[in-house]
Amino acid sequence: MYIMKLHNVTRAFGGLRAVDEVSIEFSSGGITGLIGPNGAGKTTLFNLISGLLKLDCGEIYFDNIRVDGLTPWEIAKLGIGRLFQDVRVFKKLSVLDNVLLAKLQHPGESPLSVLFSTRRVTNAEKENLGEAHKWVKFVGLSGKENSPAESLSFGQQKLLAIARLLAGGYKLLLLDEPSAGVNPAMIKSLLELMKKIADAGRTIIFIEHNMTVVLEIANWVFFLNEGRVISFGRPDDVLGNDEVRKAYLGV
Amino acid sequence: MIFIYGILALSMNLLAGYTGLLSLCQAAFYGIGAYSTTLLMIKVGINFFPALVCGIFITSFISLFIAYPSLRLRGDYFILAAIGFQLIVFSILYNCVWLTRGPYGIPGIPRPSAFGFQFDSLPRYFLLGGFIFFLVLLFTRAILRSPFGRALKAIREDELTAGVMGKNVPALKIWAFVIGAGIASVSGALYAGYVTYIDPTSFTLDESIFIIAIVLVGGSGNLKGPIVGTFFMLILPEALRFLGLPVTIAPNVRQMIYGLLLILLMRYRPQGIAGEYRFE
Ligand SMILES: Nc1ncnc2c1ncn2[C@@H]1O[C@H](COP(=O)(O)OP(=O)(O)O)[C@@H](O)[C@H]1O
Ligand SMILES: [Mg+2]
Repeated sequence: MYIMKLHNVTRAFGGLRAVDEVSIEFSSGGITGLIGPNGAGKTTLFNLISGLLKLDCGEIYFDNIRVDGLTPWEIAKLGIGRLFQDVRVFKKLSVLDNVLLAKLQHPGESPLSVLFSTRRVTNAEKENLGEAHKWVKFVGLSGKENSPAESLSFGQQKLLAIARLLAGGYKLLLLDEPSAGVNPAMIKSLLELMKKIADAGRTIIFIEHNMTVVLEIANWVFFLNEGRVISFGRPDDVLGNDEVRKAYLGV
Repeated sequence: MIFIYGILALSMNLLAGYTGLLSLCQAAFYGIGAYSTTLLMIKVGINFFPALVCGIFITSFISLFIAYPSLRLRGDYFILAAIGFQLIVFSILYNCVWLTRGPYGIPGIPRPSAFGFQFDSLPRYFLLGGFIFFLVLLFTRAILRSPFGRALKAIREDELTAGVMGKNVPALKIWAFVIGAGIASVSGALYAGYVTYIDPTSFTLDESIFIIAIVLVGGSGNLKGPIVGTFFMLILPEALRFLGLPVTIAPNVRQMIYGLLLILLMRYRPQGIAGEYRFE
């Protein structure tokens, strides 16, 4: 069972082929690691999947629906969520508002419903509020609901961004370097969190530089170098691959 | 007058303060509201209140023509498109003499009346203005405190992330813009009924900039800001009049004080007197 298929996905910036004829099939469920040196094209690949960049050529299927060419919000509504490398919480908004915003298809986000089907909006918002509190608690940010997001530490902002993803109910989560810039103690709870999410049946694809982390939680690993997939398989196998060791670890 | 600008400030706050759209054509919608209400009253002969409501729809509809193409592009294009639209509207009001009488303006606009009650004296008009301002305030409050308002704030903070979180960014911006235009047209109607004479010079780019200045001074992103800004920007000239400056230099002194005030605010309180959001 595949949740997402990439076929010949290519994107160049000027003469630089940041992502070069990448074909990958991601299985449904579990945790997949995407590794590779800096500038390998990992973030670009995520941007292509979430619709922030246009493909030069190739196709992307999610749940057998072709998603390349759709807008970011259409792709999100199909069930692909994204954690950015630089987190990008809404800094001036409260923790709770950040999570409340995650709800997809909220009737209250149409001004016509706000004015003319007040009851429906109120009910949806009530439900949304319950969900939001639940996820804030789930990631361990209880008590911070009303603080502005900018008052949180970087690690806490990551947790908030994850709570936001969970509240969105996405089937597939793209996490760009979730452990980067987070202190070791928090990395541990972050990994626990990721395992919990995967156990709950959601699919995670994450970009990671820390090999210990990859070995600990990834079920599968893709190795990307200069825009191309060099190796794919179980974490031990990929990290044992000669080509990978040469390109990445310099051994 | 204070309520007329208060309503304009509320419309600007919805755009600049909540959505992060620095719209330089609010005066155009103010003008379209004034002219459509006036023409409906004079040429079609309907009462002020239904004319005002029709004016809201006409203005909102017209605003779609600028919102739809320009808000799907990136930020800078929108600012230019808004300035362009402002200039075009002025030029149409000025040159379509058959409809608007151009530079001669339209005199003799009837005062509003309802159920045989004439809003013809100053206190009565003040009451009407206050009442309509209050309705608009309640309306914007309901809109902005809703999930829709929250989504607008998210767009103001970070458009890209809002999109990735499933918010249809262009559609939300277009909604905000069209609602903002509708609100500005209410001011236009009130203005026409108040001065009973309108001409295109009240609806220029300068006026649009003044509306932005109100929101910048008062602060935006909440509902207090625009109200404080309106008081400040409209009461200040009255207060200066009491200084008894000679007529010839008074306007210049006023301009200087406005300028100084804006600079001081930018330096010491960039979010405005009562605002929660600063432009970056
Ligand atoms: N928007 C962009 N414009 C131009 N070049 C870019 C852009 N985004 C990424 N690149 C280039 O594409 C390559 C891949 O970048 P990226 O996907 O961020 O790498 P990674 O996330 O694997 O470190 C880099 O050489 C980077 O400089
Ligand atoms: Mg990267």
